[in-house]
Amino acid sequence: MTGTRAPKKKRDLMSRIPAGFVRAVLRGHGSLGLAFAALIYIICLTGSIAVFAQEFQRWESAAAPQVTSVRPEAVQRAFEGAISRAGPGLEHIYITMPSAKLPRLLLYVDAEADRELLADADGVIAQENEFAWTEFITRLHINLHLPVTWGVFLVGLIGVALLSSLISGILAHPRIFRDAFHLRIGGSRRLQEADLHNRLGVWALPFHILIALTGALLGLTTIIVGVLGMAMFNGDTNRVYSMFVPQPPTEDPRPAPPLDLESMFADVPTEDGRIEYVFTEHPTEMGGAALFNVRRPNRLAGVDGYAFRRDGALYNRIDSSENNLGEDILNSIGVLHFGWFGGGLIKIVYFVLGLGLTYLAASGVHIWLARRRDKGNPAPGWERLWSATVWGQPAAIAAAGVAALVTAQPTPAIWTWMGTSMLFWLLAARLPAPVVSRSGRIATGILMMLTAFIHLGFRGGAGTSDPVSWIVDLSLIIGAIAIVLPLPRPAGAPSAGFPRPLVES
Amino acid sequence: MNDNSALLPGLLVLGGAGTGIWILRQSWAQRSRKPRWPVFAGWLLILFSLVWPAWILGAARGPFIALALVSTVALVIVSSGYTLRQARRSTGRASLAPEPSTRTTTRWRETLRWLLAGPIGMIAAMAVGIAYAALVPGEPQTRLVMGGLLVPVAWGGAMAWTLSDDRILRATAVLVGVAVVGFAAAMLKGF
Repeated sequence: MTGTRAPKKKRDLMSRIPAGFVRAVLRGHGSLGLAFAALIYIICLTGSIAVFAQEFQRWESAAAPQVTSVRPEAVQRAFEGAISRAGPGLEHIYITMPSAKLPRLLLYVDAEADRELLADADGVIAQENEFAWTEFITRLHINLHLPVTWGVFLVGLIGVALLSSLISGILAHPRIFRDAFHLRIGGSRRLQEADLHNRLGVWALPFHILIALTGALLGLTTIIVGVLGMAMFNGDTNRVYSMFVPQPPTEDPRPAPPLDLESMFADVPTEDGRIEYVFTEHPTEMGGAALFNVRRPNRLAGVDGYAFRRDGALYNRIDSSENNLGEDILNSIGVLHFGWFGGGLIKIVYFVLGLGLTYLAASGVHIWLARRRDKGNPAPGWERLWSATVWGQPAAIAAAGVAALVTAQPTPAIWTWMGTSMLFWLLAARLPAPVVSRSGRIATGILMMLTAFIHLGFRGGAGTSDPVSWIVDLSLIIGAIAIVLPLPRPAGAPSAGFPRPLVES
Repeated sequence: MNDNSALLPGLLVLGGAGTGIWILRQSWAQRSRKPRWPVFAGWLLILFSLVWPAWILGAARGPFIALALVSTVALVIVSSGYTLRQARRSTGRASLAPEPSTRTTTRWRETLRWLLAGPIGMIAAMAVGIAYAALVPGEPQTRLVMGGLLVPVAWGGAMAWTLSDDRILRATAVLVGVAVVGFAAAMLKGF
């Protein structure tokens, strides 16, 4: 053997993945993305907004008394006030204690007709409040306003699809390290969209995995526990739940005076924590009970539980510092998913990264549409439909915001959202994609602005001393202007949105 | 008593991780990628920025706060280094980027493929999760939660695989086998 052998170039691990494998995975990635793109887009968009659920509650109750702390006797008074307004069929009263995040004394009454009541610092019920918008946006994210069991499962399935797309997306990206910092704007639309899609997908991957995994588990819990119960516990799912949740005392439906929460407060240790929630069960029956949740600082899963019987006897105590790994993980999943563990900074970061994930879903379809155009096989119908989804959904959600504020009821908000969504999809049958997109942007901006002005004018926004309410209104106005005005783009860069033939410059 | 504020530690994380990512960008931009030590230094800074908040903001809370911030600062650095290209019409030439494979298929194969990615994959993933909960030693709650976390991961993996693999019967055999073995092992062992 003669001849010189060229020195072998060292390749990174991902570059060694065979091209055939990459192409096969890319096909699977595309199929899955296209099948679920619209649902992933809606769930990610609403999830990004729902990060601010507590801020929206403050915004929707701008006219209510601000309460930073309360004495136990005031809580007792508010509790008895809530019972007197509960009506028939009272099952539970959930009390959210005031905090820096939500300076309200909030009581949720679970009876034949559910109510949300706000009390002042003396425990006097000040107003009944419907958090219609918060309810609308969180429920759209959690169960798409479908019947809860099916809706939550469907959202869990979307979480799995997102997780699967992340797995296949990484496997289909052999230049993951080589291209880690490449972002080419302008030139071919497909290249630009692919660069944005890949850079967002790679650098925010830990966040994406965290959101998809926790979301999938939250959505699939019921079915997992159901199957587990069938396979291992003769169908008794309560045996699974009882490992995590303290069992309530034996039911005794004989009527009784309201629970004495005041004396229970005295038995809850709060040296290095604060009482966050009080859950009361059958508060006007002999079998009544109360569970106090105490949050310990700087812990994701730092919630202690103290459960009292009617006579004030402590029948269950959960010390979060003694939790095992499984309990810690389970109690962390919710806060990690919604970004409620690092104050305002992390909420803003979650919102931005959440919008990035939303764009990831949108750009996946953009790449597919651009590829079809590049190959001379455009799909104008799909371009119009996708434009109607990408910009119709923000408009529909903003319209729901207006309806929620005007009617103070979640049901009209749901119908408004559905009607506006349908309107945009119908428009897509007639109008070209750029017009649908532009209409959606303008409608979103106008409706956001309208929401802020209605809130300021008619829902106590202008007279409130709660700074968060002002921040929400200001953000809506600035957001509306930013959406309506065209973004300043570098010269040569094509506009964002749906693919269309590029003009020679 | 409230959580420690994440603001100041967050800014320090942004600074530390941002420096690490910037070093990575500078060293990867060089064709030779030599010397290698800046790459290690960059990764080390990112890793350090993820770990130290545990002592200030809480053992689990701190690193998760840092994780969200590291992704954000990385995206800021990537977007700050964009290159601008002239808009052009498609030339119709084949793209250098990998293209999805094209495969000839039939309706029943596609139906089976989606059944594998959906319900059959879900059942196989459930079997994996429940087998984990039953067979792996540890606290009951930990086994249940880890088993539960395995379900979406295994289902997602099964989805990615079955939608990509041309050998659909192989995927069918593996998923059905995993489901049968997983459930059988879990039921035989008991919880």
